[in-house]
Parts: sequence; structure tokens; C-alpha cells
Amino acid sequence: MDILFSGQLLFAALVSGSLYALVALGLNLVYGTLRLLNIAHGELVMIGAYTAFWMLTLFAVPPVLSIPVAALVCAALGWLLYVGLFRRLLKRPELAARIEANSLILFYGISVILQNATALFFTSSARGYSYLGEVVTMGDVSMTGNRLLSLGVAVTLTIGMLLFLRFHIFGWSLSAVIERREAARVVGVNVDQVQVITICVGFAIAGMAGVLVSMTEQITPFMGFPFTITAFVVIIVGGLGNIPSGILAGFALGLIETYGVALTSAGYRSILIYGLFVAVLLIRPEGLFAKAVKS
Amino acid sequence: MNVRSALFLAFLAVGTALLPIWGTPYLIGIAFNLMMWIALVQSWSMLSATTGYVSLGHVVFVGIGAYAFVPTHDILPLPLGLAVSAIAAAFFAFFVGLPVLRVPGPYFVILTFGLSELVRNIVMRIESGLGSFGRMIFDAPDPGVLLWWMLVLAVFATVIAQLIRGARFGRGLAAIREDEVAAETVGVAVSRLKLYAWIASAAIPGAVGALSLLRVSYFEPGQAFDPVISFTIVTMALVGGTQDARGPILGAAAFVLLSELLWSSLPQLYMIVLGVALIVFILFLPGGLIGLADRKRRSG
Repeated sequence: MDILFSGQLLFAALVSGSLYALVALGLNLVYGTLRLLNIAHGELVMIGAYTAFWMLTLFAVPPVLSIPVAALVCAALGWLLYVGLFRRLLKRPELAARIEANSLILFYGISVILQNATALFFTSSARGYSYLGEVVTMGDVSMTGNRLLSLGVAVTLTIGMLLFLRFHIFGWSLSAVIERREAARVVGVNVDQVQVITICVGFAIAGMAGVLVSMTEQITPFMGFPFTITAFVVIIVGGLGNIPSGILAGFALGLIETYGVALTSAGYRSILIYGLFVAVLLIRPEGLFAKAVKS
Repeated sequence: MNVRSALFLAFLAVGTALLPIWGTPYLIGIAFNLMMWIALVQSWSMLSATTGYVSLGHVVFVGIGAYAFVPTHDILPLPLGLAVSAIAAAFFAFFVGLPVLRVPGPYFVILTFGLSELVRNIVMRIESGLGSFGRMIFDAPDPGVLLWWMLVLAVFATVIAQLIRGARFGRGLAAIREDEVAAETVGVAVSRLKLYAWIASAAIPGAVGALSLLRVSYFEPGQAFDPVISFTIVTMALVGGTQDARGPILGAAAFVLLSELLWSSLPQLYMIVLGVALIVFILFLPGGLIGLADRKRRSG
């Protein structure tokens, strides 16, 4: 039982929790403003991870410096998708109604394309690199440098994003679009501009999270799906479109998962995640600790 | 669907039934796959196309049917075993139906997906707890016999799906798609209709699971509950179109053909084409292939 009270386990829970919170934050922003259920979100994590891998392998750029590069790559993809597909369709109400209903399946198509195009170009074998693998000891907790860095970057990005939403004027317009889309338009918020920036930011956040993942884990073209699922669990527990509760839920999931697995065995991880997912949807689809977001 | 299309489909069914007599094993294999997908997509359409409650977890019924078949295989004759599998899947649908069908819109889509993944993981856990990784079936019938049974399921699913659309039952389901609250207000028994349609759409996939198990002889829970099957069902339905029962047949045929052409040599390219087709049909051709054909006929 000692292991349950050790700082070691808490550290592990915080590392995965911060990552879940970050990945889910991007998904939540895109759902909140565009009402699109992006099931390709995990593929952006994968693209971020591959960006870091190739930057290191080809140009010897340390992964921490690849974070902005991955953000740019994913933001560009978000921009392309918005300008190429969604802008025209979201503007026409009769199409928009259908797109929202079908967005999940639409993004499944995008996800399949991204996965298989990556597999076609880079083969589907697992890749990895070692970076900051040496152990740092603080008190009775030993941690590798890369995990510490991952925790630091994820927490910084999440807090930065929250402060931006809270204090910057663009953050206000974004929150306004999430809460009352039509009302925001009436009071002069440029909804189209908010949407394009949000999709870029949401995608960029996932890409940056991907760089963090690649520092500690092996990467494959099909690595994204589990991240999509955990991100969905997180934003459903927190309430779709509710940003602060989503972050809270991310950390909560990290804790539940780490301690749940410590109490049982690693084989129960998926049952735990999906069980939570199904239970929350059945009991309270609008989210466990959240006020419902009005659409 | 007019008399001419119905006759054409009947002609195709007879052709498929004769295939085991003159066809090569390769052709029989393709026909088996085609009939399997037709049966699955038609079953899926009974709830999801009529009401708009899109199920993204239909593979759960296939997996349950396959597992239910394992203990009955040695005891019961094949038709009874298939019936047991269908009943097991229908019973599962009944069991989870009321709470699941209460969940609206996009939540229903992800809930059905989550539910099927939950069942998959629980079964995988149980299997590894038992120390077995999969199930083996001995003395499977001849592929030709299996094709006949799959054809029966495909025809059965097609006929039921078409009858539902025309019946009072189907008009109630269509009312749910248009406006569920309004339908309830004017006296449509919303919850009961949804539950019946959900059970109907679960039964045949259960029997399909049993036949697929016989076809491969050995399977693992990861295969029996493979989420790609659920996604493929939805893709075929969207590409074929779901206004009438010809759509799912067209959709299934298109992808079975495509997979024959590409899967063995370029599996990744096949998946990319599948993804592009999904996007193009959702955004630009919401009526599917069948809608496209009808529009051509009207304008031409």
C-alpha cells in the first residue's frame, strides 16, 4: 500500500493528467466554437510527434525547440481545413445543421486519411528517440528530465491559455461565441474570425502536446486514437465546450487512471476509461461538474 | 424502389445462390463478404437511417453473436445456432436500449462507440483472465453453404429494411428524425419505436457474427469487436445512400470492389480512398450514390 501514498505515483498522475488536460483543451475549444466533434484530434498529436522526430533526426533540432514548429504545422492544417471545407459550409444554415450532426463521421474520414498518408510516407513501424532521459531526484521522488519538462510545458501552456481566455479581448469574444453564438454576432463579434483562429489554436495545442508525448513514448502513425478517446472522456466529464472544467477533468482523469491502475493492474486501464465514458454519457451527458453549455 | 429494381435485385440474389455450383473459391469469398456487408448495412439502416440516431458501435452485436455461437456450435444445427446468436444480440440491445436511446444527438453517436469499445475491452480482459486469447471452431461447413446462409441474411435484412420504410412503424421513425419532440406531442410512442428499431437492427448482425466466425474458424476478441467494422458500416451507408434499400447494396458493392482492387496491394491507399469518399459524400452528395442515380434519371 505504501506505493499509493508515495510522491512517485502522484508525479506520474500529474504528468499524464497535465497532458490529458492539454490535449482535451484543444478539442474543447474547437467543439465549443465550431460545434464540430473532431475525432481526428489525436492525429494532430501524432503529427506533432512526427514533427519533433524529424526535426531532431534531420536537422538535429532539440524537441523543446520543435514545440513552436509543431504548433505551426498543425495550425496550418487547421487553417487549410477551415478555409477549404468548413467556412463555406458553416455559413449556410441548412448545410451547417447537417455538418454538425455528421461532423464526427466527417472527421473520421480526415483521421483515416492522416493516419494512412503518414503510414504510406513514413511506414507504420514505431519510431522513437531518447531525450533528457537522465533521472532527477527531488526528495523521495525520482523522475526523468523529459517527464519533468513535459509536465512543466503542459502546465504552462494550459495556464497561459486560461489567462488568455480570461483577460485578452479575443479570449472574451471566444468565450462569447462558445456561450451564445448568435448573441455574440449581434454585439459585433466577428464569428468567422473567431472560428478560424480557434481551429488554428486548438490544432496547435494538440500538435504541441504531440511533441511532449514523443519525448517519452514511441510514435507510430496510429498512435493518435487513444488520445482522441481520452480527450473525449475528459471533455465529456467536464462538459462539452466548458474550458475550465475540462482542464480540471483532465487532471482528474490522470489521477483516476494512475491510481486505478496501481490498485488493479494495467489490463484494466481501457475498461476504466470507457466505463467512465459510458457512465457519464448515460447519467449526465452535459458533463459531471459543469453547467450545461447552451447551444 | 420500383418493381424493376426489385426484380433486378431478385435476379442478383439468384445469381449469388448459384455461385457455389459454378464459382471459384475466390468468387465465393468475395460474394460472402459482399452479402455480409449488405446484411450489416441494411440492419444498421433500420434504426440509424430512419431515425437519424447514428450508431457507431454496431460491431458490438457482431461480436456478441460470434461469442454466443461458440457454445452452441457443437450442440445445435446451424440454423438454430444462428437464431441463438441473433437472439443474444437482440437481447443485449434490449438490455441497454432504454438508457442508451434516451441520449440525444451527437452524444448518442459517441455513446454507441464507447459502449462497443467497453464491451470489447471487458471481453478481452475476461479472455486473458481465462488464459485464452481467442476462440477456435472446428468442423465449419463448406464455404458454399456459408455463402447461402449469408445470402439468406442479406435478403432478409434487405426485405425487412424496405418493409419498415413503407410501414406505419417507419413513418413513426421518420417523424422522430424530423422532430422528436413534435412527434411525441402528436402521439408517436417515441421511446417504444426507437427501442423496437434498435432491437431489429441488432438481431441480424448477431447472426452475421456467427457466420463470420465459421468462415475464419479462429478469432480473437479484438477482431470480433473491431471498431473499424462499425465505421465501415456507416461509410457504406453514407456512400450508398439510405432513402431506400438499394442504397446500402450499392454502398457495400462499391467498397467490396474497391477493397478487392486495393486492399491486398495498397491497404493504406484503400483507407485513404475510404476517407476521401466519406468527406465528399457527407459534404457534397448527401443522397449517396442512389440519390445521384435518381437525380440523373429525373433530369435526363
